Amino acid sequence: MSRQSFLGATARERAAGLTDAGTFQELAGPRDRLTSPHLPVLGEAVSFDDGIVTGVGMVRQHPVFVISQEGRFIGGAVGEVGGAKMVGIFQLALAEYEEWKSHGAQEDCRPAVIISFETGGVRLHEANAGLLAHAEVMDQIQCCRGKVPVLGLIGSKVGCFGGMGFVAAAVDVIVMSPEGRLGLTGPEVIEQEIGKEEFDSADKSLISRTTGGKHKYLMRDCNVLVPDSIEAFRQAIGDILEKPYEEMEKCRRIGSPALVKEQLDVAEWLADLAPSDARDVWKAMGNPMAEEYPDMDVEEFLTHAVRRRRGEQ
Amino acid sequence: MALQTLTYTFPGKTGCTIKKEWSHTGVVGSGDLEILLEQKAQAGAVSVQVVTPVHGFEYIWEAVLKDFVEENQIGDLAVSINDNNATPFVVSLRLKQALREAGIPEIFLEREGEKT
Amino acid sequence: MTESLIGKGREAIDWLLDSGSFRENLVAGERFPADLGPGAVVGSGLLDGQEVTVLANDAQAINEKFPVVYFGVIGLEEAYKMALAVYAVREADRKKPASQKRPLLLLVDTPGNAPGKLEEIAGMNKATGAYQLALAEARMAGHPVIAVVIGRAISGAFLCHGLQADRILAMNPGFGTMIHVMPVSSISRITKLDIEQLEALSKTNPVFAAGADFFYRLGGVEEIIDSVEEIRPRVIRQIGEVREQKAEGKTGPMGRAALGNERGGRVWRSRVIRKMEEEYAEIADSYRPWRKEAYGR
Repeated sequence: MSRQSFLGATARERAAGLTDAGTFQELAGPRDRLTSPHLPVLGEAVSFDDGIVTGVGMVRQHPVFVISQEGRFIGGAVGEVGGAKMVGIFQLALAEYEEWKSHGAQEDCRPAVIISFETGGVRLHEANAGLLAHAEVMDQIQCCRGKVPVLGLIGSKVGCFGGMGFVAAAVDVIVMSPEGRLGLTGPEVIEQEIGKEEFDSADKSLISRTTGGKHKYLMRDCNVLVPDSIEAFRQAIGDILEKPYEEMEKCRRIGSPALVKEQLDVAEWLADLAPSDARDVWKAMGNPMAEEYPDMDVEEFLTHAVRRRRGEQ
Repeated sequence: MALQTLTYTFPGKTGCTIKKEWSHTGVVGSGDLEILLEQKAQAGAVSVQVVTPVHGFEYIWEAVLKDFVEENQIGDLAVSINDNNATPFVVSLRLKQALREAGIPEIFLEREGEKT
Repeated sequence: MTESLIGKGREAIDWLLDSGSFRENLVAGERFPADLGPGAVVGSGLLDGQEVTVLANDAQAINEKFPVVYFGVIGLEEAYKMALAVYAVREADRKKPASQKRPLLLLVDTPGNAPGKLEEIAGMNKATGAYQLALAEARMAGHPVIAVVIGRAISGAFLCHGLQADRILAMNPGFGTMIHVMPVSSISRITKLDIEQLEALSKTNPVFAAGADFFYRLGGVEEIIDSVEEIRPRVIRQIGEVREQKAEGKTGPMGRAALGNERGGRVWRSRVIRKMEEEYAEIADSYRPWRKEAYGR
């Protein structure tokens, strides 16, 4: 069994490794040479996939449409071409859903979308087009509601920040490793806004406690926490897709009035708690061993972790 | 300064192309590059296109690529490279890796066999 | 240069609605606490006699509980409050035919989403994501959603408060309107290209430059408005148009994508998607277990 690290894997390795062996077929792959038309004039290197690998594979009986972002290429930032590739995947998945429905709609082969995030959001070199693409992706996620499950995977070096943080928040199920990072505002910007004493962007363990997989799991912003291996993520995807669709929908953190009210309560509770560190929040939720959490492996952490109670903080 | 496109053609061995129809290797990270190799019947020639933000290293590219073609005795091949400030050492390394992943030409393997 | 409208979110409500009709914190019969998310104004009123819901930024307000929220910043409370206001109308009009679903009007003047430690601990990405999903749901359910950029529409804040609308109208840059992800000066710093060069480049390629005109060419805004008096009639006209064109898919982010193609500012997008469709069509049958004979059930 392959134990290849998810953290260090390229977007293409992740795309192939998250689907059943030998089933992944790239769409708009490197041979199509769909490089960004906007980077050359700015003197920025181009990539044949524009930093986003897209394609289709199988997970057991499910056709799975895959988006995998490459952090090594301009920080995984999304421009016009890469954004269009993301939208294209959703459109294919939605069309395939209709095809599936017209052929008996067997649950065990319902089409799905998975996104392996590694991005800071909008690509500044083509910022306007990148921003508009983000809006289209959000639109498509809403279109998938009740039809196509969308799974977000976060465990790569760059994490998932900026506008893509919204996109990750909007998917049905989030799987993270402790090494994964999820947020909106990058650490440097927070430091700039509120000062180094409050938030030191060079403090890696602080960043991890605030945006990392364990914190997100405790807050219920991450549904499944797995160790850092492609195999573990792949296993998690299979387990999730085996559940009835309604169960996947229950993993959502936002997307209904009830869920939004619950999140607003969490925000108010946190404002009252005024934590100086995420550890204060963990303790307040009933985790006396909070200090030791950062050093625990996933298995041990999960035996101790007490997550946020639903709707009554 | 805009990106620069360099093109080269080297004489190579007719029929000594890669096993796969095409093959892709590498990521355009900082100090790195991606390489797309494609079979292309062109009387043995190896054509190369390099897109790079670095200016003024045309001759080094030419030398590295020429060595690659001659050492591996390849031909009928189109090489497309997107570079982001890779050193000549990294370029050579990636080219070898790309060829390995694309499948080394049969003829070359036979020749290797003859030697032993 | 006309007078800047930055910071005039509340005044804009009066320019837009029938005189004296605005009821703050009352949306489709649901009452919102007066002290919740002061950076966001939600309420209902009449526009040309028809009931509408308004969501605006209040750049004068300061959120005491969340100190990074001021000057029109959208914080946790603001985003959740806006999402709940959208859902209130959505729920109240759930059984009405599309033609009677109440419009949602967004007055946009926001410099960003709240950047703070508490915000990240809580998950600010969820808050703004929640508002976007609520708007997208209401839009798809048939509510006309019209955004008017009167001041600043910056990056992620514009994504949540504006870019999910059916139609986006922007005041012309003479009013101080700002639409961008980052000012050209910052892009210059990051890309290490000088500002003059970037500005020259932006004349032929609108994809990175700041400004409503560039977004217009990309199809990112449908119309530019040249006077304050024009806001009201334009919004009224757009509500009517949106009701007619929504079903044809000519509104919202996808409608703007088509517009970007038409206006020549975003032509690659459609080529990429078409390519993917063609390639998938070739291999689709191997990904359809339901079509395989061996798939016995």
